[in-house]
Amino acid sequence: MKNILKNREVNSFLFLAGLIFLVGLINQSFWKPETIINCFNDSVVFTLLSAGIAFVILTGEIDVSIGAVLGLSAAVGATLLRDGYGIVAALPAAIIVGALVGLINGIGVAVLNIPSLIFTLGVNGVVRGIVYVYTKGAWVENLPANYTILSNRFLVGNVTYFYGAALVIVIIGHLILTKTRKGKYFVAVGDNAAGATLVGIPADKTKIIAYVLCGVFASMAGMIYASRIGFITPTAGNGYEMKAIAACVLGGLSLTGGIGSLAGASIGAVIMSSISRILVFLGFSSDYDNTITGFLLLTIVVINTAVQNRAALKNRHEILSARTAEKGGKKA
Amino acid sequence: MRTSFSLKTKQIWKKWEFILFLVIVLEIVIFATKNSKFLMPRVLFGSMNDIISICIISLFVTFVMITGGIDIQAGSIVGLSSIILGVAWQDGGVNIWAASFLAMAAAGVCGGISGFFIAYCGVQPMVVTLGGSFLYTGIGLLVSKLSATESYKGINGFPESFLKLSKFKLFGVIPSQVIIFLILAVLAYILLHKTRYGRQVFLVGVNQNAAEYSGIHTKLIIMSTYVLSAVSASVAGIILTSYLGTAKSDIGATLTLPIITAVVLGGTLSTGGKGSVLGTALAAIAIGTLRFGLPLCFKVSQQYLDIPVGILLLVIIIGRAVFGRPELRTYLMKMKWNGKGN
Repeated sequence: MKNILKNREVNSFLFLAGLIFLVGLINQSFWKPETIINCFNDSVVFTLLSAGIAFVILTGEIDVSIGAVLGLSAAVGATLLRDGYGIVAALPAAIIVGALVGLINGIGVAVLNIPSLIFTLGVNGVVRGIVYVYTKGAWVENLPANYTILSNRFLVGNVTYFYGAALVIVIIGHLILTKTRKGKYFVAVGDNAAGATLVGIPADKTKIIAYVLCGVFASMAGMIYASRIGFITPTAGNGYEMKAIAACVLGGLSLTGGIGSLAGASIGAVIMSSISRILVFLGFSSDYDNTITGFLLLTIVVINTAVQNRAALKNRHEILSARTAEKGGKKA
Repeated sequence: MRTSFSLKTKQIWKKWEFILFLVIVLEIVIFATKNSKFLMPRVLFGSMNDIISICIISLFVTFVMITGGIDIQAGSIVGLSSIILGVAWQDGGVNIWAASFLAMAAAGVCGGISGFFIAYCGVQPMVVTLGGSFLYTGIGLLVSKLSATESYKGINGFPESFLKLSKFKLFGVIPSQVIIFLILAVLAYILLHKTRYGRQVFLVGVNQNAAEYSGIHTKLIIMSTYVLSAVSASVAGIILTSYLGTAKSDIGATLTLPIITAVVLGGTLSTGGKGSVLGTALAAIAIGTLRFGLPLCFKVSQQYLDIPVGILLLVIIIGRAVFGRPELRTYLMKMKWNGKGN
């Protein structure tokens, strides 16, 4: 039982459940299954974004270019769709865009050893600029109706196809990270890159793969964004990187790397994107959105850090007392 | 080995501001040959208006990054202080200068809160200032709802004396924003490089434990850097409000990334312990010249300016990474030789 509570994603899930329960107490209509499932459906873009960036954060790096990657891949995919090439061409094109940018990020961070925040910041500027060049500053509109309607098609009950697909992807990613040998490399590198290298884990390669996966996830999020919104502005996805990072933190990932999971990140994304909906049900205007997000984020990280520091202190005391006890035993 | 390496980095470091200076000169020469209008003092100084907030804030974010932290909430504090100023003046009936002071004080408190969490609770600076950026943007929006004016319109009609803050021109050419920037740059330079406090900031960034053991209140120092950067953000917010003549809660929304770019380009290490005010100031001017010169002389659309600035950042950091690490340079040389051999 104690082990389960220590699990950070379980904590975030309990937090989400508690949130839903509390809001339901105040406004009964929130407890309807379709309302709750809609919270999940609406979070699909952020679910993919934060699951993608979770790979990078787990290795102890950061990627602030995913907002621009989302914008670029959405623009590329949407143009192909508009020109009648169909999803078979659009989705791979978008994914290639995401993977390419991810590869550049990975090489800059892992091979050239440039601090990740700074390198991806530069890439962010360039990619955002390319969006403007590619779209010539105009909106990409007139997406085929059979694509935009896809975001309202239900797979089972009220779960949309997109959320179902995202869920499957996240679960597969989560299982790979936690159950397979290579998947565990990500956490190992984030926990202690030097140590991981010493035991033979290719740290640089792992980081590059993390960035490529992050880009691919961002581009998939971009395609779903295109379907949900129906048009792409040149600023599409602006600021999403910060929200995705915030979602990861809410989901229990540590930005120093090595702690957290994909499941946690996706739960964080649901919390993050449900806040404005919850506010409506509580009778507040959505103007409080940012305030509540910031407040939640700060409270959760401060409490988390305090708990962690206390646990570390307790651990140290235990080790020390065990040592002194050992010495005493030898003397006797 | 170790000394020679540190000596080498020191030499490069010594050259760094010089390289930035060369970049600026190069930009000016290229732009001036392309379009002679560029050199007219009125045009040149007029260009400062658009980048002045980036210049001012990045000076003090340098302090934060030297301690090993990062500040991504400065942009939201610009908006927050602008709207506090506007609401206090219009709806609170406070004198405009008192309102400015109030905005600065509020910003100081915001920086202090974030700094407290970072220094005393040990939370990662990136997370705290990320949370802070959401929180302060949100509070800015809520404050704007207190006003009788619709928030998207912004608060207008400031008194002439306040608008003059940004309209005044020394000798008829040098705008007051440039003067304010220069004064703040000199202040920041003295504070960081000539005072005891500045040495302490550096020492905290190099090794916090050593600093703590040598009797420095490291936590207080770290917290103070966030207060400084927040107050500088509010100064930028006040100047921007005066320049635009409008108080809005979202005027600083796009500043965060350019600020970090300027600081990093200025040679400040993001891991802390190294950096200079002069470098940041030169870098901010280099970015500003680029953003101003390209549209004027090469007809590059305003929207595309992210690309050259991003490329400038990438080229410089990649160059520094390659030349700063001898082993990588020899590795690349070897690859080149192999390529030639084949």
